[in-house]
Amino acid sequence: MSQHAEHHITPIKTLVQVIVALFALTVLTVVTSRMDLGALDVPLALAIALTKGALVVSVFMALKYDNKVNAVVFGVGALFVVVFLVFTLFDTAFRGDLSSTTKGTIMEQEAAEEAILEREPDASALQFNRSNE
Amino acid sequence: MSQVNYLNHDKSLKSWLFTLDHKRIGIMYLVAVSLSFLAGGILALLVRTELLGPGETIMSADAYNQSFTLHAVLMIFAFIIPAIPAVMGNFVLPIQLGAKDVAFPRLNLASFYIYLAGAAIALTALVVGRVDGGWTFYTPYSTSVGDGILFITAGVFVMGFSSILTGLNFIVTIHKMRAPGLTWNRLPLFIWSIYATSIVQVLATPVIGITMVLLFLERLLGIGIFDPALGGDPVLFQHFFWFYSHPAVYIMILPAFGIISDLMGTFSRQQVSGYKFVALSSVAIAFLGFLVWGHHMFVSGQSAVSSIIFSLITYLIGIPTGVKVINWVQTMYKGSVWLQTPMLYALMFLFTFSIGGFTGVMLGVLAVDVHLHDTYFVVAHFHYVMMGGNVIAALGGLHYWWPKMTGKMFNETLGRIAAVLVFIGFNVTFFPQFILGTRGMPRRYYDYLPEFTDLHVLSSLGSYILGVGLFLILGYLLHSLFRGKNAPANPWGALTLEWTHTTTPPDPHNFHETPIVTRGAYDYHLAPELFGGDGASGDGHGEEAEVSVPSGQATS
Amino acid sequence: MDLKPDERTMASTAEHPAHLQHHFVSSDQQFDAAKMGMWLFLITEILLFSGMFVAYTVYRVWHPEVFDGMAALLDWRLGGLNTLVLLASSFTVALGIHYAQVDNRKGLVTNLVLTFLFACIFLVVKYFEYSAKIEHGIVLGDGFAPHGVSHGVDYATYDVMFAQQFFSIYYVMTGIHGFHVLVGMGLFAWITVRAVKGHFTSAYYTPVELCGLYWHLVDIIWIFLFPLLYLI
Repeated sequence: MSQHAEHHITPIKTLVQVIVALFALTVLTVVTSRMDLGALDVPLALAIALTKGALVVSVFMALKYDNKVNAVVFGVGALFVVVFLVFTLFDTAFRGDLSSTTKGTIMEQEAAEEAILEREPDASALQFNRSNE
Repeated sequence: MSQVNYLNHDKSLKSWLFTLDHKRIGIMYLVAVSLSFLAGGILALLVRTELLGPGETIMSADAYNQSFTLHAVLMIFAFIIPAIPAVMGNFVLPIQLGAKDVAFPRLNLASFYIYLAGAAIALTALVVGRVDGGWTFYTPYSTSVGDGILFITAGVFVMGFSSILTGLNFIVTIHKMRAPGLTWNRLPLFIWSIYATSIVQVLATPVIGITMVLLFLERLLGIGIFDPALGGDPVLFQHFFWFYSHPAVYIMILPAFGIISDLMGTFSRQQVSGYKFVALSSVAIAFLGFLVWGHHMFVSGQSAVSSIIFSLITYLIGIPTGVKVINWVQTMYKGSVWLQTPMLYALMFLFTFSIGGFTGVMLGVLAVDVHLHDTYFVVAHFHYVMMGGNVIAALGGLHYWWPKMTGKMFNETLGRIAAVLVFIGFNVTFFPQFILGTRGMPRRYYDYLPEFTDLHVLSSLGSYILGVGLFLILGYLLHSLFRGKNAPANPWGALTLEWTHTTTPPDPHNFHETPIVTRGAYDYHLAPELFGGDGASGDGHGEEAEVSVPSGQATS
Repeated sequence: MDLKPDERTMASTAEHPAHLQHHFVSSDQQFDAAKMGMWLFLITEILLFSGMFVAYTVYRVWHPEVFDGMAALLDWRLGGLNTLVLLASSFTVALGIHYAQVDNRKGLVTNLVLTFLFACIFLVVKYFEYSAKIEHGIVLGDGFAPHGVSHGVDYATYDVMFAQQFFSIYYVMTGIHGFHVLVGMGLFAWITVRAVKGHFTSAYYTPVELCGLYWHLVDIIWIFLFPLLYLI
């Protein structure tokens, strides 16, 4: 049928290459998470997940060969997930700064307050002579 | 009406209930949505009557709380959100595109029944339990009081599906079903605005879906995501809620912009000024609308960092909105403005929406909002935007397309009288509320201080005038169905395809042959013979436009 | 951006196949419309899940140690196995579409059946995971109270503040994902029957393509759930 001549047919060889890569990346993410990489743990796991997702989207879902408008649709969807996440984090990551006018964090301010309390003189030192009144 | 049209080609009930015709689905939506509006409106009148005086007037505090909550839920989820896209979008959009139907007709019908199911589930809450915390369902109140919330959340979840399916359908239809020659730059601005609306529907509505699922589980099982007693965060609920509900405000207002653009062009007989800017500003508003939800949360305890960011972006929304308002005014300049009923609504919209928009910018100011938050100022602001924006535009659109939908002309004199009543009633109802708000009258309160009485009485009287105006509209529109004159194919002399290339009412398949478009939607300066189609004869100006064209003459 | 309007009239005189609905001009227009509709539906799915990802991120940022500790309680072996199973099913779907495109009905049916079986395996594994947790009082909502000892793990020590948030998110995320797997199984059962009946050819395989897209998305969601919940 001439009408479908332009539909992209992904060769089986490409599909096999991708699934092998996906399996390998799965093993890799498990292995790296079993080792303790400290601060690298989370970014690495996310990077591997993103790579896997990108492989599935571009080859298995054939977005790479598809009409560009579908890629735009997908991109916009992904963008708004990021918007949702980032703008919520603007609040939750900075929560509690509302009445703060100093540059210090809440914890620093609390520590400063405690330090002031410690320096506060004993009650006995505050006996003023009020007889003049 | 001897010619075959979508109304008379099969009159059985079954042919309506199982119809895949976008026009019939639009009409079914019109009936359903109008009933929601009627119910919500009656609740509003009850609320205003209760507020005629301090203390108990006609109902208990409990009944009052439930009334305003139900008024809001019905008006927002069951009326405003589907009103313009699902009614006029369904009826007009495929025809304006020169298509035989929307891309997915079965999905379209499904979305109607899903909407009905959702509305029914939400209304069950009335019978089963009380819902009295307002339409925002803020936690922890919503998760600790009453079982009605379970039904309301389920209902909103289901209605959300309907909204998503409608939006999805329209986006694909606009992309894939345009007639030959109908390029993006030639699209009617109504299409552009429905396009922007649909993007918001598709992107935002799923989030209210998951929010309702979580709220439902929180109420039912106590999962501790939103309930502070279990370690959850109620402010997180507000983020989730407003991520949808702020863009939802643009689901409500963007289609109204589209109608106003079409009306301005048609009734000024001019190319809509700044066409590309008006078109793209819809998309810009849709995008920016996603970045401002936090301005509902300035006093919620969210971080100052996010308040400042949200406040800044809120100002930005004023730019594309201003572009639109200025271009609408510019469109009328040196045009031959024809003050028929639909145009009256368009002018009314300019006035009421501008007030609503400007007060919105005021509320976006951080410090001002702290004073005005949760007062009648906010109530007045969003009624000026929602009712003064969406409802007024929807009424304009309804009058504009009524002849095409029903084949009948309504009574123009009554139409103008009703428009004036609506305008007076609306402003008398809501303008005093700005003053009440600045003086400290909190929203949603059952009782109030005696010094607020005069303004409250004024507001209630306004609502009665508004009610009379709206019932008058209902009356003469229904009357026109039985006694109205037959409408000509193009009573307004408009240039979009639904007027120039279809009969009135349209053929079941819209067009006998696919129209070929060779000009823009508002090229009134071009010679009439370039327009083609059936309705091109007569520019619609003057009284002769109202004389019914003998049936058959308009058929090709 | 998409099909030029003018190209459509040229196609209108072409043959009119049985699967072509009356309001479309050509099969291509119908196929493109269906596919774009599916992509739009997929982004609504992504945004549906995004709410859960946001909740996860917010609580993880607030309580990193608790989330770290709770993730250790989930069995990475079972999670990893399920990841491989779902990836394999994605592969068989992609193969199935390839065979549909080259008119190989046997290849198509075989791969659809395989996909269905992989989905079954996924849910069975999920069932064992859930029951192992529920047995120890790790449930969704009110009854949350970890207790008991197994495999050297004393569950009672996991009864700490904010542990419930982790497991609520875990259950809702995997629950909604599992529901999607279930729906996918229904879809594959339906298109397998149609494939056996010979409804699909290289000229018309839209339902296979759309179900495939849906299934890949279900897979992608899991690709992210696995490291977030089980590993980090």
